[in-house]
Amino acid sequence: MKFLANLLDKARPKFEDGGAFRPMKPLFDAIDAFMFNPLSQAKLAPHARDPLDVKRYMSMVIIALLPATFAAFYFYGWRMLPVIMVSYMAGGAVEVLFAVIRKEEINEGFLVTGLLFPLILPPGLPLWMVAVGVIFGVLVGKEIFGGTGRNLFNPALVGRCFLLLSYGGPMGGAWIEPGGGLFGRLFEYKSVAVDAVSQATPLAQAAAETPVITPLGDLFFGNVLGCAGETSALALILGGVLLLLFRVASWRTIGSTLIAFGLMTALLVGGDINTVLFHYLAGGLLLGTFFMATDPVSGPSTNGGKFVYGALIGVATALIRLKTPLVEGMMFAILTGNMFAPIIDEVFIALHVRRLQNEK
Amino acid sequence: MKPRGGYNVNPIGGPSLDIEKLAPPKMLCIPLSSKHLTFSELSVADGDTVTCGQTLAVDPESFSVPLIASCGGVVSLTKLDGHIVIENLSCPSDPAPTPEVPLHAPYDAGHAAENRQKLLELGAWRFVSNARTHKVADPEGKPSAVIVSIVHLEPFVAHGGAICKDKVDELVRGMEHLQSLLEYQTIHLVMPDVKNALAQKIQETIRGHAWLKLSEVPLQMRYPFDNQTLLARHLGLFDKGGETVWYIPAAGVLAFDNALSYGQPTTTSRISLAGPVVKEPKHLEVKIGHPIADILDGRLNRDQDVRVINGGILTGVQIPAEQTGVGVECSGITVLETPTVREMFGWLRPGADRRSFSKCFLSALKGTFKENLSTSLRGEGRPCVSCGHCVEVCPAGIMPNLIHKYLFSDELELAQKLRTDLCVECGLCSYVCLSKIDLYDQMARAKVQIAEELGQPEDQQVTEEPETEVLV
Ligand code: SF4
Ligand code: SF4
Repeated sequence: MKFLANLLDKARPKFEDGGAFRPMKPLFDAIDAFMFNPLSQAKLAPHARDPLDVKRYMSMVIIALLPATFAAFYFYGWRMLPVIMVSYMAGGAVEVLFAVIRKEEINEGFLVTGLLFPLILPPGLPLWMVAVGVIFGVLVGKEIFGGTGRNLFNPALVGRCFLLLSYGGPMGGAWIEPGGGLFGRLFEYKSVAVDAVSQATPLAQAAAETPVITPLGDLFFGNVLGCAGETSALALILGGVLLLLFRVASWRTIGSTLIAFGLMTALLVGGDINTVLFHYLAGGLLLGTFFMATDPVSGPSTNGGKFVYGALIGVATALIRLKTPLVEGMMFAILTGNMFAPIIDEVFIALHVRRLQNEK
Repeated sequence: MKPRGGYNVNPIGGPSLDIEKLAPPKMLCIPLSSKHLTFSELSVADGDTVTCGQTLAVDPESFSVPLIASCGGVVSLTKLDGHIVIENLSCPSDPAPTPEVPLHAPYDAGHAAENRQKLLELGAWRFVSNARTHKVADPEGKPSAVIVSIVHLEPFVAHGGAICKDKVDELVRGMEHLQSLLEYQTIHLVMPDVKNALAQKIQETIRGHAWLKLSEVPLQMRYPFDNQTLLARHLGLFDKGGETVWYIPAAGVLAFDNALSYGQPTTTSRISLAGPVVKEPKHLEVKIGHPIADILDGRLNRDQDVRVINGGILTGVQIPAEQTGVGVECSGITVLETPTVREMFGWLRPGADRRSFSKCFLSALKGTFKENLSTSLRGEGRPCVSCGHCVEVCPAGIMPNLIHKYLFSDELELAQKLRTDLCVECGLCSYVCLSKIDLYDQMARAKVQIAEELGQPEDQQVTEEPETEVLV
């Protein structure tokens, strides 16, 4: 520990003004602050501050993602490890590059994006596609808007959307047969999808000419075909509960998305409770609701706006799933929501201003 | 209006209710300006000999409230910038015993105008503030209501219980004097909940004094609900539009009694000395102008790496301890440690010992507990992530994050529309912000800037009460 601190202290001058590695200062600072709390002080009143910082906040999301990540390892093998690493490295590189160019700090936001991204991809996707997707997502979804905090769209979804439009084949077929038993595929490295053509995800099966409804139990545990982190409802619900307990995710968004989705689906399928449940558990609904719709940056910031935003996403997902040729609608629904978030906010800000008008 | 937002920061090192009376120092360093007052018109010259209670300077912007010499001696205007220094002090170490006065003051509305004048001259009027602006109230004005508060909730500032300790009779008599200045207006007495010992004692003393028009307000003890503007808002005292509400803290009511029962100026102040590095956090009774360095001497656990703050943790101002004394508006001295040790993987720790507004630490499972605070920022500055904590905590019901965004893009009109002026400058938004944005400072600046550059928008214009001659 002492050794590490000394090492960092020794290296620091090289990254300061006049040092040989000055351009890489953001990277050094990030590593330095990652290892040891910085000594920065509150310069202005309040003279003391709450212990929560962005690092901690983002790590809570990562903790909440761990059950789903573990499920991905269990069902689809430890190839997830290189997938996640590639996602982090490629996404991190873009982040560092922009921090260096802008001479700003490296932002912790990509820690979440880097893990979230592999979880919304088919588990058998070639590694280079993972890299391309995350680079596109971070670059176009975030950096061109000015970085974390200023992005309009959820970067992970932008990356996925790009992959879907460019490499529709693998994006719709690189599934891996889920493992089972005590260890699942934890000790297997499964790269290429077996029988990829003959298989389809539960949502696709349900939408086929002769619909096959996957048993709800399978959907709940997650031993079905699907994106790496999306299949296990159990793991996602666990993560969602954690997010709500940490109060990192807004219950307003989650609640209204789930309720609106349920009502809309029930309406469209004629109130069949089994089908509604099926749609709750299948596909990316839960992951999207808990981890993407709740992204505070790309969603609205007003409390009232969050209800409307959630409802919009829920309704849109149900409509896309059941009324269009697309079998999954979560991604487009959230991106649509992102697009409308500023307008929704505008309305609720106007209401807020009206309410405040007569305050004395 | 229902109270909203607010949060109790719960730090280790709060002052006990013990009061230590400090012996007069060798010299006094009286600051010429404080948060709301600037004594720019001097009444004495360098080298003058003054007596205790003499006027040293007045604030022409605040109805000429005087700065009173808290001790006799020789004045120096050059020794310390922005201060009046008094040396060769002639304070009696044992002040003359106070004369006996009746336990209750008679209702004396006939002398209201004279008494107001007396309060002004004896320096007691500076405690009366306009609850909306926090500035000294017009001594000839007519308030629509009066708030007297014995509660101070900001961590580390002087506790109401200490200020009123052994002075309940004086407090009640002070309120009687206050009532004599008024016509029919109610005094809203803000107290901790009814079960509180001090509150009960006050109620006992008041009982049977029917002419005191009191309305007792048990306060929800959450910071900053003791703020004068919020109190007036919560009590609905502004509702009828543009009304003047007076606010007087307990110390002011005691100063009233001093002035009107004894004819004496108030030259001492009960302040707190608190913070995790203070050996024995408690209250001190000191002369105005008592050098801070003298107060801190021997009372801290460490000499280095500390920050000395005039006021509490949240809204106090850092002061050069070596070069100043206790000012007229000083309510406490806070000493915090400045961090010197870097903790490894601090952000990863479970955090059972970290008390947070959020629920992101293990401490969320514990009940309330006191936390050790330093001046550490505990994180790094980042762009806003829209977590909404500042909105949730803001007692004024405005959206600091949104105002921050508009100020960032120089859209002052929008910031005005979002009612930056409602901010009561409590500091909580900065405290909770996980992106470590100095929202509080931005709000405070924006308020001034908006008032200067844009003025009041027409539909919000406060119609001033006509300055009628109302004194009986
Ligand atoms: S905006 Fe003003 S009133 Fe609201 S929390 Fe911040 S400082 Fe307090
Ligand atoms: S607390 Fe800070 S990060 Fe959170 S919304 Fe407010 S300004 Fe943004």
